[in-house]
Amino acid sequence: MSEVQRKKYSDKEKNHIFDQEFMPHIDSMYNFAYRLTFDEDDAKDLVQDTYLKAYRFINSFEQGTNAKAWLFRILKNSFINDYRKKSKQPAKVDYQEVETYYNSDDVDYSGTTDLRVDAVKDMLGDEISNALNSLAVDFRTVIILCDLEGFTYEEMAKILDIPIGTVRSRLHRARNLLKEKLRSYAQNMGYNTDEEE
Amino acid sequence: MDKNLSSAGERKVNCAEQQKCFQLLESILDGENIPESDKILKEKLEKCDPCYRYFHLEMAIKELLKTKCCQQITPQDLFENIRKKVQEVK
Repeated sequence: MSEVQRKKYSDKEKNHIFDQEFMPHIDSMYNFAYRLTFDEDDAKDLVQDTYLKAYRFINSFEQGTNAKAWLFRILKNSFINDYRKKSKQPAKVDYQEVETYYNSDDVDYSGTTDLRVDAVKDMLGDEISNALNSLAVDFRTVIILCDLEGFTYEEMAKILDIPIGTVRSRLHRARNLLKEKLRSYAQNMGYNTDEEE
Repeated sequence: MDKNLSSAGERKVNCAEQQKCFQLLESILDGENIPESDKILKEKLEKCDPCYRYFHLEMAIKELLKTKCCQQITPQDLFENIRKKVQEVK
């Protein structure tokens, strides 16, 4: 994950790394980009820019290490540094609220929701997708990285440049927010969320 | 955790170490390397109702996310466009 230049690859080696280690992750990369931007063209641009940067800085990638995490880190940084700045859409996030919310590693685990497993299992794709999309981008990101892409806490810490404790607490908060969204969907579906099973 | 099971074979209704337990269950569910995770999980799910409910709810949501939110189809031209752009910068 380090950006320190390690070695000079030959053109043949570069092509091999690009084809064999980078390109197989294109579907995950596009899914991540789409869930960050909510726009097909922006997602395509973001993925394309990421791959171009990956090629340009390929000498800082150590062959055989975690290419997917390395690529996700570049994509996340490109999104923050490039896409957000030129985005036509204003950020939909109350950053003050978010900052206050996750600047501490102290998380409340007591607030268990009364959402029920059977209600969750009856949900269609739209409900869970809308609930995920409604989260502020930093909360959405940790859920995508962990639950959709299966990154470890350590890998997420490196991708996001935050300590593992913050990964853990941010993930927990994100999940609580997601459950609250799902709970309101469940109520609309007719599940009585106020009663015990 | 307290040991006041309501009766033999039943799960206790309150978890005295809820924060610690839920954090541990989340880590296990996320595949983190927790020593003796199978043993810990078995014990918590058998003996503690809040832990049982928390774990199964988190697992259901995680599975739903995985099956329903990874279906974005990558545009066919993206692969070729990347190839073309990379050729240009070589």
